[in-house]
Amino acid sequence: MAETYPINIWINEERYKELQAAGLADLLKEELAGMKVLAVPCTAEERDKVLKLFPMAKFDAATTKSIELLPKYVKDKIYEMVVKRKKLNVMSEFCHLFERAGDAFWNQEIA
Amino acid sequence: MEMIGHGGKPLVERVIADKTEAKKKIAGLKTMPASRQMATECISIAYGFFSPLEGFMKRADVDAVCKKMELADGTLWSIPIVFDISDQEIAEYGVKEGESILLTYDDNPLAIFEIEEIFTYPKDEMAFDVYGTKEEKHPGVARTYAYKDKFLGGKITLVNEPKIREPFTPYFLTPRQHRMKFQELGWQRIVAHQTRNVPHSGHEWLMKHAYIAAHGELPVESMEVIGKAISGVLVNCIVGEKRAGDYIDEAIVLAQDGLKKYGYFREDIHMTTMTFWDMRYAGPKEAVHHSIIRANLGLTHHMFGRDHAGVGTYYESYEAHRLLMSIPREKLFITPIFVLEWVYCPHCGEVTCIGLCGHWNEHQKFSGTKIRSILIDEVKPTRLIFRPEVFDIVMEAAKKYGFGSPFVGPEYLAKAKPAFSIEPL
Repeated sequence: MAETYPINIWINEERYKELQAAGLADLLKEELAGMKVLAVPCTAEERDKVLKLFPMAKFDAATTKSIELLPKYVKDKIYEMVVKRKKLNVMSEFCHLFERAGDAFWNQEIA
Repeated sequence: MEMIGHGGKPLVERVIADKTEAKKKIAGLKTMPASRQMATECISIAYGFFSPLEGFMKRADVDAVCKKMELADGTLWSIPIVFDISDQEIAEYGVKEGESILLTYDDNPLAIFEIEEIFTYPKDEMAFDVYGTKEEKHPGVARTYAYKDKFLGGKITLVNEPKIREPFTPYFLTPRQHRMKFQELGWQRIVAHQTRNVPHSGHEWLMKHAYIAAHGELPVESMEVIGKAISGVLVNCIVGEKRAGDYIDEAIVLAQDGLKKYGYFREDIHMTTMTFWDMRYAGPKEAVHHSIIRANLGLTHHMFGRDHAGVGTYYESYEAHRLLMSIPREKLFITPIFVLEWVYCPHCGEVTCIGLCGHWNEHQKFSGTKIRSILIDEVKPTRLIFRPEVFDIVMEAAKKYGFGSPFVGPEYLAKAKPAFSIEPL
């Protein structure tokens, strides 16, 4: 299986309950003394796309091999999409929708 | 009272505190503006953070630092402290060897600069000797290449003391003030924690480890009473040029102090202060420089973890430890304390040192990247990982000083005020 590179979305109590209610709690991993994280995977192609669309983001090649420094509003939208689609593999669609809608994307509800 | 600094020499203090006298001394001098970096280094020289330097280095010192990691007189020194200038500026401001000029900052008088030497030095050689590379993507090398073509060497005398802005005001102490504070606290041994981070529990345990090591064989009996500590931890935050993605200085200083404020360290064994310095990311050489600054503050011990002051993959994780161990004890005026990584062990259910805990396959590392990611998401971490009060301080600092973020972004870089100002004399 091809290597993937996560976008880590940390989950607070409120979101944890939301994910539990939606039957999605098993998508979560536990790290750092029981903290819950949604590791949304990106293929190498998706990773490069994310880094291009969001230049403030960085790929941590040295340690975690994850995509970091994405602003909260971007991660919130990715979270929204994961909940709507009930799956983790959403980044291709996410990038596509953002490219199509531009900044209006942030005010649109995920259909 | 004479205070002894690095090199076993008297602590340098070149400050004219009396404004009337300062005005007399600067009357008639030519003036030249100083950049923020040069202004902070003038301040550091004049207060003795860089003792025994009395001013910006002359060529012989720069050469000895680059080639032998010492000043021309043989005192250990690892990073050149230089004042760069262009030919155009030399002509424009009428800079001449043997004359003094008045450096200004914010258009106000800052320091008298006695120009003893105008010289050149090959920047690529300086970069390679200090950083071990000539690659411009190394930020220290880039800084060296960005120097103008000539350097001025000579003594600095501060004529106008900086005004430190809030929230930094209580955290800026001169070396003399540090020493007086340690005396007041009754600390016989003080260990430095060098930082540019807000503290997670891994950092907290590194400090506790270093504190216990530094306290060593000293008696503990008096410490059964709060207020009777005889050793302490000094968190000395580096405040200087920021890069995008760094923690904002306000969050660093306030969050570090929060560890004491909320009792994670006793109030009589913990103190937070700051030092102006633009990080060079020189790894092992920077570790030596940090040890020099902290010796001048009057500290007895200095903690060094893995990857001290490095960047990218330029230095090996324990290269700074090896360099410090290679320096003869009589040249290093502080005792290094080398610490291993602390991690969370789910098996033990606690934060532990990798040198102590045997559940190696279960360890969860305190990755700085992960902690940043958690803070960006504004999710309060478990208290074993990050103290809740410290988290609140960081978030509050983000709102108050960081334009909504605890990390340096374009708005912070453009709009944040420097930590100090120079007011009219």
